[in-house]
Amino acid sequence: MELLKLNETPVRTSRNFNINNIKLENISIPQEINNFNNMQVYGDESKVIIDNQNTKLNLTYGLGDFFTNQVSNNANKKIKIVIDKKVNKEIEIDFKFDKENNDLIDNIEIVAEEQAKGTVIIKYVTDKNIQAFHNGVIRLLAKKNSKVNIIVANLMNELSNNFMSIENKFEDESKVNYTIVDFGGKNSITNYFSDLEGELSDNKLSTIYLGKDNQLFDLNYIGELRGKKSNIDIEVQGALKDNAKKHFKGTIDFKKGCKKATGNENEDCMLLSDTAKSLALPMLLCSEEDVEGNHSSSAGKVGEKELFYIMSRGFELKEAMKLMVRAKFNKILDNIKNEDLKNEILDSIDKILD
Amino acid sequence: MAKTKLEEINRNIYDIKNKDEYDFKIKKGLTKEIIEEISKQKNDPDWMREFRLKALDVYNKLELPTWGPDISELNMDEIATYVRPKTGLSNSWEDVPEDIKSTFDKLGIPEAEKRSLAGVGAQYDSEVVYHSMKEDLIKQGVVYTDMETAVREYPDLVRDHFMKCVPVNDHKFVALHGAVWSGGSFVYVPKGVKVDIPLQSYFRLNSPESGQFEHTLIIVDEGASLHFIEGCSAPKYNKVNLHAGCVELYVKDNAYLRYSTIENWSKNMLNLNTKKAIVGKNAQVDWVTGSFGSKISMLYPMSILNGEGAKTEYTGISFAGKGQNLDNGFKVVHNAENTSSLVNAKSISKNGGKCTYRSLVRINEKAKNSKSSVSCESLMLDDISISDTIPVNDIRTDEVEFSHEAKIGKISDKTIFYLMSRGLSEEDAKAMIVRGFAYPISKELPVEYAVEMNNLINLELDGAIG
Repeated sequence: MELLKLNETPVRTSRNFNINNIKLENISIPQEINNFNNMQVYGDESKVIIDNQNTKLNLTYGLGDFFTNQVSNNANKKIKIVIDKKVNKEIEIDFKFDKENNDLIDNIEIVAEEQAKGTVIIKYVTDKNIQAFHNGVIRLLAKKNSKVNIIVANLMNELSNNFMSIENKFEDESKVNYTIVDFGGKNSITNYFSDLEGELSDNKLSTIYLGKDNQLFDLNYIGELRGKKSNIDIEVQGALKDNAKKHFKGTIDFKKGCKKATGNENEDCMLLSDTAKSLALPMLLCSEEDVEGNHSSSAGKVGEKELFYIMSRGFELKEAMKLMVRAKFNKILDNIKNEDLKNEILDSIDKILD
Repeated sequence: MAKTKLEEINRNIYDIKNKDEYDFKIKKGLTKEIIEEISKQKNDPDWMREFRLKALDVYNKLELPTWGPDISELNMDEIATYVRPKTGLSNSWEDVPEDIKSTFDKLGIPEAEKRSLAGVGAQYDSEVVYHSMKEDLIKQGVVYTDMETAVREYPDLVRDHFMKCVPVNDHKFVALHGAVWSGGSFVYVPKGVKVDIPLQSYFRLNSPESGQFEHTLIIVDEGASLHFIEGCSAPKYNKVNLHAGCVELYVKDNAYLRYSTIENWSKNMLNLNTKKAIVGKNAQVDWVTGSFGSKISMLYPMSILNGEGAKTEYTGISFAGKGQNLDNGFKVVHNAENTSSLVNAKSISKNGGKCTYRSLVRINEKAKNSKSSVSCESLMLDDISISDTIPVNDIRTDEVEFSHEAKIGKISDKTIFYLMSRGLSEEDAKAMIVRGFAYPISKELPVEYAVEMNNLINLELDGAIG
């Protein structure tokens, strides 16, 4: 496969800054997509509809034509989840990659009906030593006054490739808390787009990422505020060890007419080695006067004072580091009420940092 | 650093047009023949003529930027790249032709020279028409002259530094500059010499459908210090003018340079300027920039911190009004240990103007224990304007402290209410808030420039708010 160029930012900057897109070489793209059978649904199964029809996707952003078309034409899992007022349990879909099921092209549509409340968890895990390929699209329509929690956990191994496009549409007074746990993948490339066209619509996006070895994370998050008094908060916390690398591209775009809208973006990268690399582009675009937008970004190593304090209580350096990373992630992990998933994530953190 | 005092400057003087009289104006366009003619007119040494031709080749190969403001209206076939005024270089204002002298008088340059500057250079169209420096600095070995004289009289120094800091293939308009440059200033401050009073170069473009491509080369040798001020303006014409200057600053070990600019080009100007500094061990370069004029501006001064302990600060404000697209910012590359950078950028957009803050902070692998702090704030004065913040933060090692924060918003209703409750009209309250917003920048400018900046803000705000 030749050079892949994907995940373009909504606004370009100088090519020399190496952030307008991500270029990947030698990515093994499956030519033949077999069935993917290792999927489990937990919770309110009646709300999960497995569909076999291809759907032509028309994403506003996405990762690029190649990946969007692959999901449009070759998805081996097409799922629709309806959250209505009758949903009383969280819905969890687990995809487990193994030798027989190592390519997943999933197309997931979530519809949160008016006034509905619910939680959806989508988890991707891999068996050891397999090279999995994942290309997925998750689309969410949050109808009026709906309140939804979505948790996407990428716990794949670092031999695999993870490509993910997420698009959300917000009606009036809808509220969506999106939590992304991004740990897996030799390359983990995510495009996240929220169209906040509803008045008083509200999106909180919280992400933790943790990388080791030569992992590469490319996160391209875009929030377009169109509705009056709409709000988006983007919180990204991450840590990188070894030669891991992260590109964070966060855009909050105040469109004309979004009076009294607010947007906040905070990205913080903890560098755990002197060869880890953090590249960030936190953008604020503004065509409306009566708004408030803030962003902040920081990077650096673990605080020596804090490490010293923890080690003075009897912890070894490695354990102290783990505690620091966990502490950094805790606020976001608190969004996850499912204890099993939370423990699985905490275990993953420990394994990555060992 | 000593501050200077000057009379307030009236905005109207910027738009005074002199008759388009010149000694020589090259035909419009950009061809090998035109470059050779410029070189001949300027009596270039061979190496410079070859350099120009090579730069033209690079220009023809490079693409226009694929980002930033739309500059497709620029047609080099409509631009005359060299206009020699009807006078030579003088070191006495009395020898400068009356209409040109009158322009600089109105801009307050001779008066400022008398009161508060150690040296002045004044460029009119493509050539420097006046250059002078105080005697005591000459005795200390300070060199402050026009670039053409420097090429002739300090050939080795110029050749070793000319377009080495800003290489000709940096981008298309640097290549253009390399091909057609003319005028500008050369400064050399010898080791240990502290120039306490600022030097100032003023660039005036009078000729319509032309470009100004001055080259500023400053070398502040070890342990020396300098404050250099750059001013620029032009009257407004209906067709676009182009400014593609180049500033190269070499700040050697333990040296200090402050580079202040008030840019007030006319609103038909495309300002595609390039400024870069290479900073040595424990040396510091500070940039202070006020950007008010131009139709389109793409300007991102850059500090390359090569020496251990090198520092840089950038303090800048942009004010975009109707029809303006000011895409400004700052770039810094940390290449050595214990380096630091501090950025404070502000912008104001009104009447449909667009301000973009675009930046790069890169902390390379070798730059252990480096620090960088970036703050940018944007103020929107109405709902037809645009303000964007596009910063890139590239951190390649762990032993760093890096932080970036940005804010966008309008003037707080509560603050206006408070000021109105103290007896101010709404318009005065807003103007006061805008001046307060700009104050952290204006206080870094010499007094006369702070006054000029406040006047510009008042003029820009007139009728725009309330």
